Amino acid sequence: MLGYWDALYFVFVFIIGLILAYLLDKWAKRSGMGTRETGDGTKIFISGEDPDRIIPGFEHLEGNYTGRNVMWGLTYALKNFFAVLRRDHTGLLTDYASYLVITTAFVLGVLLIWG
Amino acid sequence: MIQFQFIVAFLMIALGIYAFLAKRNLLKLVLALNIIDSGIHLLLISLGYRMELNEVPTAPIYTGYETLKSPMVGPLPQALVLTSIVIGVCVLSLAVALTINAYRHYGTLDVRALRRLRG
Amino acid sequence: MNGETILPYLIIVPLFGAFSMPIISLAGRKAREAWAVIISGITLLVGSAVFHSVYENGPMLYTLGAKSPFGKANFPVRIVWEVDLLSALMVLMVTLVAFLAVLYSLGYMKHDTGLDKYYTLILILELGMLGIAITGDLFNFYVFLEIMSIASYALVAFRNDTWEGIEAGIKYMFVGSIASSLVLLGIALLYGQYGTLTMGYLAVKIAQNPTVVAKVALAFFIAGLLFKSGASPVHMWLADAHPAAPSSISAMLSGLVIKIGGVYALARILFSIYGSSVNMKTVGWVIIIFACITLIVGNAMAVIQTDMKRLLAYSSVGQIGYILLGIGIGLAAYGSRTGDIALAGAIYHTFNHALMKALLFLIAGAVIHELGTRNLNELSGLAKTMPKTTFAFLIGAAAIVGLPPLNGFASKWLIYESSAMFNPILATIAVIGTAFCTAAYVRVLYTFFGKPSEKVMNARDPDATMLWPMIILALAIIVMGLFPWQISDKVMIPVAKALENQLGYIATLMGGA
Repeated sequence: MLGYWDALYFVFVFIIGLILAYLLDKWAKRSGMGTRETGDGTKIFISGEDPDRIIPGFEHLEGNYTGRNVMWGLTYALKNFFAVLRRDHTGLLTDYASYLVITTAFVLGVLLIWG
Repeated sequence: MIQFQFIVAFLMIALGIYAFLAKRNLLKLVLALNIIDSGIHLLLISLGYRMELNEVPTAPIYTGYETLKSPMVGPLPQALVLTSIVIGVCVLSLAVALTINAYRHYGTLDVRALRRLRG
Repeated sequence: MNGETILPYLIIVPLFGAFSMPIISLAGRKAREAWAVIISGITLLVGSAVFHSVYENGPMLYTLGAKSPFGKANFPVRIVWEVDLLSALMVLMVTLVAFLAVLYSLGYMKHDTGLDKYYTLILILELGMLGIAITGDLFNFYVFLEIMSIASYALVAFRNDTWEGIEAGIKYMFVGSIASSLVLLGIALLYGQYGTLTMGYLAVKIAQNPTVVAKVALAFFIAGLLFKSGASPVHMWLADAHPAAPSSISAMLSGLVIKIGGVYALARILFSIYGSSVNMKTVGWVIIIFACITLIVGNAMAVIQTDMKRLLAYSSVGQIGYILLGIGIGLAAYGSRTGDIALAGAIYHTFNHALMKALLFLIAGAVIHELGTRNLNELSGLAKTMPKTTFAFLIGAAAIVGLPPLNGFASKWLIYESSAMFNPILATIAVIGTAFCTAAYVRVLYTFFGKPSEKVMNARDPDATMLWPMIILALAIIVMGLFPWQISDKVMIPVAKALENQLGYIATLMGGA
């Protein structure tokens, strides 16, 4: 089925997903210990960012959900990969030109051998 | 016969690229850009110069073409190089203007100082 | 209307507008702004007329100089413009986004000085892109490429009172000039070998006699144009240059320049000039390798940015990866149904991404205009005070991630589908890229919908000239999303076929003489 897509399928999948989410929520509430209804459990908690705690030196960010840490799990799991990427983006004009020369040499080599 | 102009043209291009990669001063980089451009211009002009029957070609003037005895050089590369020189001057002036501004903001012409934007 | 008679106005109108701008602006600010809007509006009308004419009547040819393809003494003195369906689609895209960007600049650039130069440069930028789209001559292509590039170098460094603009301008310009020189070197080599620069005629000559020189020239073209399109590993200038420009220019740079000057030119050279004269599988795989690196690196770098415009710029790099992937598969699987679909997906995504990234950069501009910052850590809770802007951002982000009811989905789906049929590993890489892309945009959306900080409380939705371009782009995204397969079948598949049809391109050149 090339190039075939029907919006209805997505509506169905979406509805099934909603039902699943509702059932999961029900199940979690039933089997939970009640900590989510009272006390600290009611606060929205994004990856270690407690909205009520004031970090010294960061008062201007107090109480903001900045979204800084939303993808904490991803960035932490791949931190070596991201460190390599960051190190490669040196911001040095000479490096940019070197990459261009390397790219040209690579394409030239490939085309001369297999072109 | 060795065609010296082709060798010189490719030497100029290689020299320019080497200078661009090895030099640290922004003005020298501007010069390197121009050397690369000049090398390509030399290549283009040399491509248009064709010796036919051991006769030196004349300027490409179309009026009275039928009565002309000797061959003409290719008119197209000359037009291309003229256009390309104009473009090169454009690039040169903009590059020098940016270099002046960079000196005002950074106080140096060292290309290694221009790396506040990274990551 | 006869298409050939209006085609020159595509160049004449913005050229006249650009160089009469300094005179008109003597009459004051209002006259200058009105003139810019009128000129770009007329260009939009001409562009739509050209697209309509090409869509109805097939490709058109316009010759400057000798009408005959053989000319005096077997030496044709002429330049041809050849507009097939792909060129016409690109013309429509350029004129539309450029018009909206000019409209947006009225409000956005209100507090800047030197605006006569700004509007001159923006019209020259548009002119250069239109020229690249319609030209059928390699050297003419180089001239327009340089016109476009020089205008964009100058516009990136437009705010020369900030160090950011200057540094980005220098990085973009110096390396960009080398890339342009590579393209010129390729053109010189082709001329030396074949003695012509008309694209269609060159295609015939290369097909008759494929030489090593042609391959070397192709390598220079590919490298130079990959740089111009911002493919990794030569994408780094893009992440510096696009955020540093004023936002209306960022929208044009990210939405149009990297596509016209990079991807479109690459596709034109690969398909229309070289075609099957070189080993298409090898060339296709070269493009695919760069595409895979690009879409992983671009989208991954977007995840860890804290600067909003820099995030969008890296996301542009990632999306260019998808387009290149489609073109690469279209080359490697040339002639098969997979290739058609991949190419159609690439062209569709080019158009969609122009709309989406223009919208997102315009929104970033509105945020900067209101708050004076683009650091994501300081923008939390924007949804409360700028609801319309945030809603438009939601539309743009959902479209670029590829959520179903919006236009980005259809084009990405075509690319995934064809890559899965071509090689499942490529499809996996493409989906991983989308996962990174989603992560990047979810961070921004969390920031916008979070608890409002004190800084954003004074912000409000921008005024009409800035809001309307955003609304038009968001509406276009939604409407295009409602008819994905109709657009794909009616426009994109024919466009892909037109691009693949090298013989048709040559026949247009010879027949229209």
